[in-house]
Amino acid sequence: MIRFDNVYKTYKTGTDALKGVSFKIEDGEFVFIIGQSGSGKSTIIKLMTREERPTEGKVYIDNYAISSMSRTLVPVLRRHVGMIFQDFRLIESKNIFENIAFAGEIVGMSRKKLIQTVDIVLSVVGLRNKASAFPKELSGGEQQRVAIARAMVNDPRLILADEPTGNLDPTTSEAIMALLEEINRNGTTVVICTHDSNLVDRMKKRVIEIAGGEIVRDARDSGYTCANNIPQEQCEEL
Amino acid sequence: MSIRAFTNSVREGFQGILRHPLVTMASITTILLMLLLMSVFVVFSSNARYVMKNVGQQPPIEVYMQLEGTEEQRAGISAFLTADTEHVLYFEVASPEQNYIEFKTNLGSSSTILDNFDYNQYLPYTFQVQLVDPAYADEVVLHLEALPGVSKVMQERQVMLFLTQSTKWVNVGTATAFVVLFLISLFIISNMVRISVYSRATEITIMKYVGATNSYIRLPYIIEGAIVGLVSAICAWGITCLAYGRLYSMLMAKIDPGSFYALLPLSSLSKGILLICTFCGILIGAFGSGVSVRKYIKV
Repeated sequence: MIRFDNVYKTYKTGTDALKGVSFKIEDGEFVFIIGQSGSGKSTIIKLMTREERPTEGKVYIDNYAISSMSRTLVPVLRRHVGMIFQDFRLIESKNIFENIAFAGEIVGMSRKKLIQTVDIVLSVVGLRNKASAFPKELSGGEQQRVAIARAMVNDPRLILADEPTGNLDPTTSEAIMALLEEINRNGTTVVICTHDSNLVDRMKKRVIEIAGGEIVRDARDSGYTCANNIPQEQCEEL
Repeated sequence: MSIRAFTNSVREGFQGILRHPLVTMASITTILLMLLLMSVFVVFSSNARYVMKNVGQQPPIEVYMQLEGTEEQRAGISAFLTADTEHVLYFEVASPEQNYIEFKTNLGSSSTILDNFDYNQYLPYTFQVQLVDPAYADEVVLHLEALPGVSKVMQERQVMLFLTQSTKWVNVGTATAFVVLFLISLFIISNMVRISVYSRATEITIMKYVGATNSYIRLPYIIEGAIVGLVSAICAWGITCLAYGRLYSMLMAKIDPGSFYALLPLSSLSKGILLICTFCGILIGAFGSGVSVRKYIKV
């Protein structure tokens, strides 16, 4: 479970990114965080991975206040969180197998188990035959699937995705979302920051909308805007 | 960190060297130049100390006995000098006759004027003393002057003072140059490695996101830096030994290796240079790399 308790975040530049944000995400939920650029979506992700600390308020994961955890424990937290980025962030000099495997190597996984696990996650994302290819040899969609496989390798309980379809065409985006939905069906909590209104509207999941650093909407089975045949009372549910 | 994670880091360290050959070459050249400078300083200061030590051990102290000094008193002085092994390296007694002969020899063609000289009446027994270190001169002279039968103790005070001061300054100069060169090398190498680290900044960020600890990220760079430092050290050692070997052959061609101004043979220097180069090279490489990564691991 993720809990934000009255979280404020002001950057050193003086920008108020979040102003008293509070919400709760239960285990196994699929949540979209939407909002315009600069609204504070990415700050929420950064607070969940402890890349940033709140100026005020607390962030909890499984009732553990990660906002006040020591620096030495941050890597431990991140091993339980799978991260997916808009620009895929794959290591160009490593092949696909190595890109996925190094996330397991970091936690000291044995070679035998690593080979098995990478094989499984590559099968899940449908890239088993591309294990020896390098990122540059893959399409954008395939690279994002590799990133998803890497996020899955340590069997995380939470996957955070920051604009995962931002660089992909609509068809590929659909495939990526289907994959994330599949992962979510197996019990992993998935939190996605996105601008992709079509996907949000089509998937009808919980939507947390941020504007000016505040939550303006927190609705279940919602769309990108309240106008997409979503009952108004759901839009007002905070 | 598990053994597997450690071996991965070592492997990554080796791969890093091959991945950026130009940066590796630049790093090796930088450390090599610094280590060469250090080696030149080590060679110079070692030789300076060696020559000064030899010069200081030449007989700078001469003890003159009283003309009426007895054999027991001479034996007493000999016993004192024999027992003081801490300060005295070597001593020699010269009889009045031996002093007379030396005196005559020094006069050369004019020596005939001393033909009828009664040396037993005017020349005393003397002791020529070599010290372990010229710095002990004052202490030894004080003791010798207090011994019965001693008329006076001569020492080349200015020479002794110069030798003591020079040895001190060479030591201070060597230590200062060492520290300054070390810091400059560290600064240069950390900037060189920063280029290599910058090109892998994305990789480091990704590693941080998937839960790598700072030490896990740093270790390959530290190992890479240490290898670069080791290679530079071996090259610097080889070049220094080769150059010094040639210089030694040239300068010492007509000089007796036992003379007080002889240079140190290569065999006495090479181990020391190798140790210093290896230690400094590895330390500069490893520390410089470790420091450069710091900026990028604050994710």
